[in-house]
This record gives sequence, structure tokens and C-alpha cells, in this order.
Amino acid sequence: MRIADPAVTSPVIATFSKIAGLRDFSQRLQALRDESPEFAALRIDRQYEKAGSIEGVRLHGDFGLEIVLTEPYPQILYWFAMPFTTPVPWEAVAYYDGEEGRPFFKDHPVGCGPFEVSEFDKQSKIVMSRNANWYGVQHPEWKAPGTVYPSEGEAIDRRLGRLDPAYVGRSLPLLDRIELRLEKEHIPAFNKFLQGYYDASGIVHESFDKIVQEGGLSPEMAARGMKLEKSVDPDIYYIGFNMNDPVIGAPAGERGRKLRQSMSLAIDVVEFNRVFNNGRGVPAQSPIPPGIYGYEQPYRNPFRQLDLTRAQALLEAAGYSGGIDPETGKPLRLSFDLGDTSTAGRLRFQFFVDQWAKLGIDVEIAATNYNKFRQKVKEGAYQIFMWGWIADYPDPENFLFLLWGTMAQANSGGPNTANFDHPEFNRLFEEMKGLDNGPERLAIIHRIRSLLEEERPWIELYHRESYALYHSWMRNVKPAGLSLPAAKYVDIDPIERKRMRDAWNQPILWPAYAGFALVALIAIPGVVTFLRERQ
Amino acid sequence: MSLVEPHVLSNIVVAVLLGGAVAAFAIARRSDLWSQAGRELIGRRPIAIGAIALFVSVAMLDSVAWVGGGGAAGNVLEQSRPRSVVDRMFAPDFKEKSYSAPLADIEFYGGADLSHPGSHLLGTDILGRDVLHLTLKGARVALLIGGLTSLIVIPLALLMGISAGYFGGRIDDIVFFVVSTLASIPTLLLLIALIMVLGHGPVQVCVAMGVTGWVGFCRIVRGETFKLRELDYVQAARALGVSEIGIILRHILPNLMHLVVITFVLLFSGLVLSEAILAYLGIGIDGSWGQMIDQARDELARDPIIWWNLVAASTALFALILSVNFVGDAVRDILDPKTLGEGE
Amino acid sequence: MLAYIVRRTAYGFVVVLGVLLLLFALFFLYAEPIEMARRAVGEKAPPEVLEQWVVNHGYDKPTWWNSESPGDTMLVDHFRSMLTFDFGRSDADDSPILERIRAGMGPSLSLTLPIFTVGVLLGVGLSLFVAYFRETYIDRMGVVLCVLGMSLSILLYIIGGQFLIGKMLRWFPISGFDASPAVMLRFLALPVLVGLAEGLGGSIRFYRTVFIEETGRDYVRTARAKGCGDGRIMARHVLHNAMIPILTRVVVSIPFLFTGSLLLESFFGIPGLGSMMVDAIHGNDFATLRAMVYIGALLFIAAQILTDIAYTLVDPRVRLA
Repeated sequence: MRIADPAVTSPVIATFSKIAGLRDFSQRLQALRDESPEFAALRIDRQYEKAGSIEGVRLHGDFGLEIVLTEPYPQILYWFAMPFTTPVPWEAVAYYDGEEGRPFFKDHPVGCGPFEVSEFDKQSKIVMSRNANWYGVQHPEWKAPGTVYPSEGEAIDRRLGRLDPAYVGRSLPLLDRIELRLEKEHIPAFNKFLQGYYDASGIVHESFDKIVQEGGLSPEMAARGMKLEKSVDPDIYYIGFNMNDPVIGAPAGERGRKLRQSMSLAIDVVEFNRVFNNGRGVPAQSPIPPGIYGYEQPYRNPFRQLDLTRAQALLEAAGYSGGIDPETGKPLRLSFDLGDTSTAGRLRFQFFVDQWAKLGIDVEIAATNYNKFRQKVKEGAYQIFMWGWIADYPDPENFLFLLWGTMAQANSGGPNTANFDHPEFNRLFEEMKGLDNGPERLAIIHRIRSLLEEERPWIELYHRESYALYHSWMRNVKPAGLSLPAAKYVDIDPIERKRMRDAWNQPILWPAYAGFALVALIAIPGVVTFLRERQ
Repeated sequence: MSLVEPHVLSNIVVAVLLGGAVAAFAIARRSDLWSQAGRELIGRRPIAIGAIALFVSVAMLDSVAWVGGGGAAGNVLEQSRPRSVVDRMFAPDFKEKSYSAPLADIEFYGGADLSHPGSHLLGTDILGRDVLHLTLKGARVALLIGGLTSLIVIPLALLMGISAGYFGGRIDDIVFFVVSTLASIPTLLLLIALIMVLGHGPVQVCVAMGVTGWVGFCRIVRGETFKLRELDYVQAARALGVSEIGIILRHILPNLMHLVVITFVLLFSGLVLSEAILAYLGIGIDGSWGQMIDQARDELARDPIIWWNLVAASTALFALILSVNFVGDAVRDILDPKTLGEGE
Repeated sequence: MLAYIVRRTAYGFVVVLGVLLLLFALFFLYAEPIEMARRAVGEKAPPEVLEQWVVNHGYDKPTWWNSESPGDTMLVDHFRSMLTFDFGRSDADDSPILERIRAGMGPSLSLTLPIFTVGVLLGVGLSLFVAYFRETYIDRMGVVLCVLGMSLSILLYIIGGQFLIGKMLRWFPISGFDASPAVMLRFLALPVLVGLAEGLGGSIRFYRTVFIEETGRDYVRTARAKGCGDGRIMARHVLHNAMIPILTRVVVSIPFLFTGSLLLESFFGIPGLGSMMVDAIHGNDFATLRAMVYIGALLFIAAQILTDIAYTLVDPRVRLA
């Protein structure tokens, strides 16, 4: 119900509007609030009650909930696994209303997990501490599942020593307090991790070679007892073409397609990952990342392998021989429109521009601030852009809908910024999204894939690979991708931490003494003069 | 070839600037005061003046560009683009794949062979571009920041300051109000807000810096004009029926010229330094030393450390600002009679 | 006198109105509410949510004039909210701005206050020392060092400080902040040091000029002729008479203590107003920026009124104009 509350401005309301009657409820609530201020002043649960029930949500006894949808949408189950569909007590929502010094509910989460948020400062840190009211803490004698350290897990857990017998059977959570800090500058943050002031960290790419060698920890770091965990993120980074553009888009027909294919063949993403990501990142072949149904590891997209000769041939076939635009007699000029003016961003964009330059295409970086970029997108005044998408839930629909005509920016302002609107793709996609995973669905995904190979609305770049580091005193860490609630298993050895932290941080003081000596040396003649004058 | 193409425009600007400099020099030669001041300045700060001259000539050479000509055989894109004299001093395709240390033979990471081994004096950056080349090109951006902004600041401040100080009354009230309003807003924040509105680009950044920068100088001009107006000969000129414009041009403006010179020199270093801060905030000018420093700050954390980018950009920046500051001090000492009188 | 104070304050208020008008032009005429909403709520949000956000944040109102209810425009809202210090909520994350400003002021002050006080003391002390030895090698070297110091970009001070002192020599933690006083000192040492080093060159040079100008005056010669020691003259007479320019510089920089330091705070991870503004810049958080610019301007105007009034009290020669 909270998601349907217009005052919450939930970004997922569109998805949940597939629940029958949810939108009606939302409108009724807004209308009642607009009509009478008295209603708007009522306690939140009274307001919801008066606005009436949601037609598609029915209760069955104490433990049953039935939800009726207006259309087939199997993905809704994923949405119900997300943090924002956690049940919340209305008392807490009513109490934390932002009035009289009380924070808003969203700034003061109330839940029923092993930890509670004791400090929430968006600028610097989140502190969580052991929740004394958690059922696992109040009733350790129940030995309820999820309240004691498990003795069983995935096969890989045993191999990696995550099921340490010393922990099995101990009550959870193991930590009393977790502090998450926001660091705006990543280098100092990582240095502090190396100095032992943080227990865990990602790897900043600048220090990568010192930490990781040949896919594992470097000997120096291994000697410190550090541990490394790798995982591939369910995301995709891509360069997109505005398919409504007369030069590179659909209006240019076969010429445009050949141009896109040629530009796709010129991008060497392995080199990009080597230069900017220390070789991390899986080169993407299609929009679907590893871990999502439809991803096939051996699959190679014929237009995503570096091949300059073929790229040049295609460019010639498109009518731009050697990159020369026959209309102007000069190299073809395209613009790469970006909403990021940072120095770091610019280097990355320049990398791609340099690669297209090898074909003789003159791509200009048009970096503006975010608002100006969005304005360009709205007006359709862009040609090439770069974007990324992180999975909301593990289903191919969540990636392929980015190319669905209905979601096109030009049609509906949706996230299909490439404005790809291909009848065949649309038909296949609409068929695919309602299907359960299985051979039928896979066959359609294969057809979509080969369609995208040819059409090239995107140049798929890479799927990120995350490396996480832990100090020796941090135990029982398991990377969990999209789901996060694993903190209750983690343990820390504070004595070890103190010992190593002190050992690593012996200050080197001699330059200070040397500096003082130098200053004194320079000042002494002056002081001598001073004394002489006084006498 | 049309006139609006950037490189043609920039060539014209260079020509105009050179002509202007020669003209200014000729006029200054005729005036005893200025030629004496010039000689004294060169006598006092020969090294700093030399350094500035070097920076200016690099910037000038980098502004004169034309299309075609030898040196880029085989590279269609390079051939069709205007390249400056500075660009032509480097070999065509003088690029590596990624970092390489100064004068190294192999790539910094991975140790692959370079296409130009041992010839990058200051190494290459992450995209394999020659750092010496980038550093030299930065001189033009730095002078553009200082020069273009001063071209906005000084006329604006003179116009507002003189009209406020000379005519007084309503005009003075309005100018003073605008000046106090602008001066009340923290400079950096006003600058950022203006760039957000104007957009991102070298001219926009310079305009924004100009709008925030003229206030202080306007105050000085206003005060000085106020004093000059009361002087006997100005009053006499007015009694003789010389027009207001004539008085301003003949009697007020020339007497403000020393302030213009001092302000220009002092303003310059401040502007170039604040661009470095803008670069950190992601709204600087492409190719500036500030941007190179911002990019290099992460490289210090690399292990083994990559220092040549930071050292090259910051040395160039430091050397320019230092020379300008030294010259600025000397100019103030020489031209400002107030400080001139109390040297002994 | 009272009339002067009233007039000066009234003028200050007019300037505040001017600042507000300028802010309105900067932040409202240019803003694209829908894009701000998209930035705030997220790329994935559907249009109706964005529209709801725009309504919630009051960006849907007419800009200048509303014929139905004249009080209900963005312009009126802007002036009302600013003048009553009811800044509303951030455009980026809906947190109450006034509360965040209150929370950020502590960390900001704990960084800027030490830099300011130590900076003024060191600056005055060292410049007295240098001015005392004028025309000797100490003076010349001092001036050269000052110019050297002023020619370095603040970015280099920060990067160099973190690299040398934090990473190589390990004297202090590289960055971070803690509210408990004992730990705070350790974290603040490095940024304070960097801030001091950055500002010292300029301030020593300024104070030195003031002192040298002052020592050239007649009364110093008279005092010397009467047999006063040089040190005594410096400490008693010169310092005393140079108070006005020093105070002007000091008072005018007080407002900036409250608004914090953009660069130092974001590099050293201090959760103050400076880093809040950097976030606001990166996040297109106009509401927060607007409030911060306004507060900065307000403090500045107030400080100027105070200095002007103080002048007339201290120096009877100043005209009550």
C-alpha cells in the first residue's frame, strides 16, 4: 500500500500497477487528500483504511496472501523479493512522519532483522547494531533456522572454508556493530583499507597490480593474510546509437546498418578493460549478462570481435570509403553525446573515439552536464551515447526490454534510449517475456540475439567483474550479488586487527626533525642579528 | 574555406593579438613613463619575463594551425584536421597504447614493445598520448583562461567603474548595488552556478569567470575615477566645454592604465589557479593543466607509481604562475606610486 | 550614529533581495524540473512518478505570475522560503536542508576554525618577524617563499599532503572524520596542516605589506628617536596601528568559516557543508545549493555591515556616508 501512496513517489509503482486495483487505490487516496485537509491529517493507517481495499490483494488466514494481476507477469515474484517490498509496521510509518524533529520513515527504517540502524547519516555513515528484539537474540533456545551458524551450504562454501566448525551452532549475529562509511574519494579510502582502518574494500584500479597478480592475490598481500573474492555483476555497459538519427539510425536503412556494424567491429573492449579496468570485466556479446537466463558462455557475437579489415570493408559498402563522407569530402563527423564532464570520464570516451579514428571516422565528444544531456535526449538531438544497466531481477526480460519499441525514448520517454523500434524484435520480445524459462524461451532468445547481431542498435561493451578484499581478521564472508543480508554471519577478530593495524602504521618521523633543524639553521643568523641589535 | 572554422578564427585572433602587442609596444615606446617602466621591469625580473615570453610563444605557436601539409601520411583523420605548429613538431601517430615512463623502451604495464621506443621525453598518459605534447598544449589553454577572461573583466570593470565614478548619482547607485550583490555571493559557488546555466566549454567557463571577476577591479576604478574627477585640470577641461566622453578618454582613462596593467597581471594567476579547482569539480576546460592534475591525482596511488603526468602538468602550471606572480609584484612596485614612494 | 546603523542595515537588506533575485534567475529559469526529478528518483522511474516529484517539490507552479492566486508562484515561494529560512527538502534525496546544514556546520567549523585562528596568529607573527628584518636576507627569502607558496594550486597541496604525510610518512590518517574529540584531532591534523600551508603565503605577504607601510610612518620615527627599542615599536605601536586592515581581512573571512571548504572537506572525507555542496553540485541538487549560496551571502553581508559600523566606532575620521 505504501508503494501506491502518491506521497511516497515510489519509482516502482508502474510495475506494481499490474496488481488489480492498485492504481485505483492510489487515485482514491490522492483524491481524498485533495478534497479534505482533515483526511490528510489522519493517521496513515486510518487513511489507507478509509481509501478502501485494493481489489487484487486478498488475505487467506494469518499466513496466506493472494495477489491478482491484470496481465501475465511472472517477473512480479522477483519484485516481491526486493527490499522495498518488505512488510513494514504502519505504526512506525505513522510515527516517523518528519514532524516535530522525528525523521521520515525512509530515513529511519524499522524492520525485524538481526541488526537495527542506530545511526543514519547520508553524508558519511550508516551504523547498524545488534537488534536486541530480534527473535534470534531473544530466544536463542529456539535454534530457529537462520539464527545459528549453519553446518551446511553450497559445495563451494565448504571448499572455501566458509563452514568453519568453530562457528557451527553459534548464535547469530556474530557482530555487535557494523559501520558503513561513505568515502567520496576512492584512493584515500583504499589506502585506509591497506592501513587496516577498514575491514573490507573493493579494489581501486590504480592499486590493482600491487594487489592482484595473475588472477590471484599478489605474494605481498597474501603474506598479510588478505583474502580476495571475485564475482561477475549482473549488468551491461554499452554504447548505443540513436536509431532515429538520419545518418546512423534506421532512416539510413542498409547504409546505417553497415555503418553501425563497422563501428561495432572497431571497438576493442579487451584493450579497454586492460587499460581502464585492469583486465577485469567480461566482454559482452549480447545484452544478457552472466547469471541471467539466456546467457551462454561459448556464444560469440560475430560483430563484437575486433576486425579492422572487415570494419573497413563494411564502411566502404556503407558508402563511406576510408571514413570519407561523400557529401562533404571530409571524414564522416559523428557526435558522441555524454552526460559526464569529469576528467576520468573524458579519458574513457576518448579511448573509443581513438578506435573509431582508425577507421577514419571523426567522432566528436559532446560532454555536457547531466541535465543538458537529458535535454538533448528528449529533443532527439544525439547520435551516440554510452550507458549501463544493472539488473533489477535475474530475468532476460529486464535487459531486453531496453530495446523494446514501447519503451523507446521517442515513443514513451522510456529507458530505450537507442529508440530501437523493430517490429520483428517487438513481436519476439512480447512473446518471450510471458514465457517461463525453458527450451521455447531459449529458442526465442536465440532469434532475438541474431537479430541484434545484425541490427546493432548497441555496441555491447562488458559486464563488470567485482573484486572484493578482506583482511585476515574478517571471517565468513560470502559475496551474494543482488542479495545482501549476509552480514549476520560475518565475524571479526578485534585483537588481531589492533595488532596488525599498529604494525602497519609506524610513523616515520625523521623528516619532521630534519625539517625543524633546517628551519632553525636558517633562522639562527637572524636571531643572532636580533640579539646583537638589542645589546 | 569559411572564416568561422575554429582554427581560422584562432589564426586571426593570433594575428590581431600580435598586431595589438606591436602597436601597444610602439605607443609605450613614445611615452617616457611606460618605456622607463618596461626597462625597469626587464631589469628586475629577467628570468620571469623570459619564462612568460616562452609560455606565450608556445601558446601562439599552438594557436596557428592549418589543414594539410606533410607529417601525417596514412592517417586520413589527421590530414583533414587543422594541426598547429606545436602539433607538427611531433611525429605523426606519436602514440602508444597506454602508459610508458619517460624515455622508456617498453610499456609500463605488461611490458609490450612501444611504437616509438625511447622518444617520449616525459612519458605517455593512460591513452598513450605523449605527455610533453599535452603539456605544451596546456600553455595555450592557460593563456586562454587568463587572457580571454581578462578581456571580459577589464573592459566591463572600466565601463562600469568609470561611469559610476564619473557620473555618480543614480548610475553610481545602480552600479554599486550590482557590485555589492555580486560580491556578497561566494565566488566559487557563483562560478559553478553560472557554468551550470551557461553550459560546459572554454568560452562559457571564461565568461563565467569574467562575470564573477570584474567586481573587485570595478571598485578600484570607481574610487580612482572619483578622485580623478575632482582634479583641477579635469575641472578646467570641463569648464572649457570639452565633452564628457572626451574628458573620459583623454584624462580619466590614461590615468587608469597603470591600474589596468597591475590588475591584469594579478588577476591572471588567480584565474588559472581557479580553473584547476573547476577541473576537480568536473567543469574545467579540456586540455588544461588543471585537468591533467585532476587526472593524475589518481595515478599517484598506482603501484608502481606514475608520477610523470602530475610532475609535468604541475611544474608547468607552477612555473607560469610563479613567473606571473613575480612579474606582478614588480609591476606593482614600479607602477603604483603609493608603494613606489615607500621603498626606502 | 543610530541613523547610520539603520540605513546601513536597510541597504544590506536590499542587497539580500538582489542576491535572492539573482539566485532565482540562476536556479529556476534554467532548471528542467522533469530532468531534475529523473536525476533524483532514478532513471528507471516512470513519467507519472517524475510528475509527482515535480509537484511535491513545487516546481510545477507558474514562474512569475499566477493570475488565479498571486501568492502561488515559484518566485514568491523562493523569496518566502529563503527569507523565513524554511529551505524545504533537498532535490537529491528529500532530506530536510536546514537540518543538514545544522549537522554539517559542526564538522565544517572544526576544520575551518583551527585553520583560521592558527592561520591568523601564524600569519601575523611570521609577517611581523619578516617585516622586522626587512631589507635583509630573511625578508627577501620570506617574500620569495610566500610567492612560491601562492603559486601552487591547492590541489597540489592536498595531493602532496596526502601522499607524503599520510601515505609515505604515516604521521596522520589520510582522511576521515570522527565526532569524538580525542579521535577527531588525529583526523583533522592533516587537513588543517594542508589548509594552513595553502593560505599562509598569501596572508604573510599581505600582513607584511601592511606592517611595512606602517613602519614608514612618522610616529615610528618619532618613537625610535625617543629611544624606543625596535622590538617594542613593532609589538606595541605598529601592530596596534595596523589593526584596521588586519581586522578587515579577518572579519570578512569569518562568513567562510561557516560555509566550510569545498576541496579540503571532500578530499579528507569530512562530512561538513563544503562536501555537502560538492555533492549538491554533482547531484544537481539546486535546492541545497540555493540555500547554501544564500546563507553564505547573508553571512557575508552581515559581516560587512558589522565591519562598517566598527570602523565608524574605531576611527572617527570615517565619514558617515
